[in-house]
Amino acid sequence: MTSLQAIQQQMLQAVLAENAHIPSIIRDNGIADARSRLEIYRHGYRIRLRDALKTEFTGLGSMAGRRFKTMLDKYIGAHPSEHYNIRWYGAGLAAFLDYAHPWRDQPQLADMARLDWAISVAFDAADETGASVADLSAVPPDAWPALQFSLQRNLHVLDCRCNADAFRRAADHGKPRPRLRRFALARQIMVWRKDTTVHYRRLDEDEWQVLGAAIRGESFTTLCACLAGYHDEATAMPRMVALLQGWLAAGLIRGWTIAEA
Amino acid sequence: MAMHATERSDAMPYLGYGLGLRVEHYETLLAQPTGIEWLEIVSENYMVHGGLPLVWLERFRERFPLVMHGVSMSIGSTDPLDDDYLARLAALARRIEPAWVSDHLCWTGVQGVNLHDLMPLPYTEEALDHVVARVKQVQDRLKRRILLENVSSYVSFADSQLTEWEFLAAVAERADCLILLDINNVHVSAMNHGFSALDYLHGIPVSRVQQFHLAGYEQGERLIIDTHDAPVSNAVWDLYIKAVRRFGRVSTMIERDDHFPPLSELIAELEHARSLAKPLLRDAA
Repeated sequence: MTSLQAIQQQMLQAVLAENAHIPSIIRDNGIADARSRLEIYRHGYRIRLRDALKTEFTGLGSMAGRRFKTMLDKYIGAHPSEHYNIRWYGAGLAAFLDYAHPWRDQPQLADMARLDWAISVAFDAADETGASVADLSAVPPDAWPALQFSLQRNLHVLDCRCNADAFRRAADHGKPRPRLRRFALARQIMVWRKDTTVHYRRLDEDEWQVLGAAIRGESFTTLCACLAGYHDEATAMPRMVALLQGWLAAGLIRGWTIAEA
Repeated sequence: MAMHATERSDAMPYLGYGLGLRVEHYETLLAQPTGIEWLEIVSENYMVHGGLPLVWLERFRERFPLVMHGVSMSIGSTDPLDDDYLARLAALARRIEPAWVSDHLCWTGVQGVNLHDLMPLPYTEEALDHVVARVKQVQDRLKRRILLENVSSYVSFADSQLTEWEFLAAVAERADCLILLDINNVHVSAMNHGFSALDYLHGIPVSRVQQFHLAGYEQGERLIIDTHDAPVSNAVWDLYIKAVRRFGRVSTMIERDDHFPPLSELIAELEHARSLAKPLLRDAA
């Protein structure tokens, strides 16, 4: 008698294999042969994974167009699912596109996959409560230079070499896909969730410098210094105020500490 | 030491007629009275850290009794039980206090690979011992009895020594768990394997059945495919009548997983189930 473990291993291999081998453990009868019985599981496995990926990677679907199905099938063939929840199956897709031929030659596809995935992860990440303008106004003026912000843990900043955000936005709103624009230097897109809504937007260069410093836990003085290369003395502080107001409104700032002198 | 059912305060209520909660019907379900008495959630959809799924879940919890129905416990797998999965499942159960928790009598993966399918077991003494031990382990972990559902299947195994119903009944008796009897799945598997659906019903101990599922399927060329994406078929309604005659008053729900119709169509199906069961239960009273 074949052991339970051996039966499960044989079934697993029969479902995963590119070319079906029919294990003799499967009972044949007059209703249907073993091959057509097994085929239901083989077909179902691929359809379920493909459908799960299509749900999560709507921007990539828009960008890849007719190549999307082939891309997903190659990923499915190369990566058996390891998580109990099918929703996490796409976690490795962007990395796959980084190295797998022919998609590695089109880095915009991996960037797009990373944006789709960051949006997906933010959707049901842990809840965070943002600070308010009133909270921040209560900080004494002499404490400001040493202020270090704590940002939302669900904030993700992605380097992007194309207008992936436009593709995702078009997919979200059922609009035709935009023209692909490639950037010589990567630009940054931030993804975060406020309450129950996931947001994403491209960062201006000066905002990224300041936000990056805030993420690293730099002091407010250092954050202000980040703007020096982009603004003169007259415009730097209004820009900083505008950035802080925007981050507070977006729920990005969870709180702050005041560094010891 | 394993707990016995009598030590658990988990007497389960009769809930009436319910529906599987799906995103497609969220708004409508809260907007108006529906005649739906309870909801079954897919546990994994709410085993998350935060965000919209849990916000919706709290809204439904205020309005409906809930039960949890999982698809990933993989109770029959020869891989170890997934500790992280069980911890999250237990946490969700503590959070929403469902009337009961169910999963499937199947395996979903092995060797660390997940097939995301309800794979049938060989019905052997070895598999029986294995499943019984794991059900006890899960019940001790969750501190409650669980329900196991019969799955639709397309393959059976040359080494099986028991019928599916003998196996299911033995698991329930030996592990002291309960049964979620999917009437559609009984029909699908009966047609695909050539056994009698009535023999199946008569082989299941009445006292173990806590819940019925009703669903639809797709007729393939030679096999019936359990799609759960169509109205309940006449054959399944007929079998439902026979199930009510045998098992009496059992919490019943329509389980639709795809091709979602307007909620009113599912409510009409549920009403049909009520109307079929009502005279039978009156006769029995």
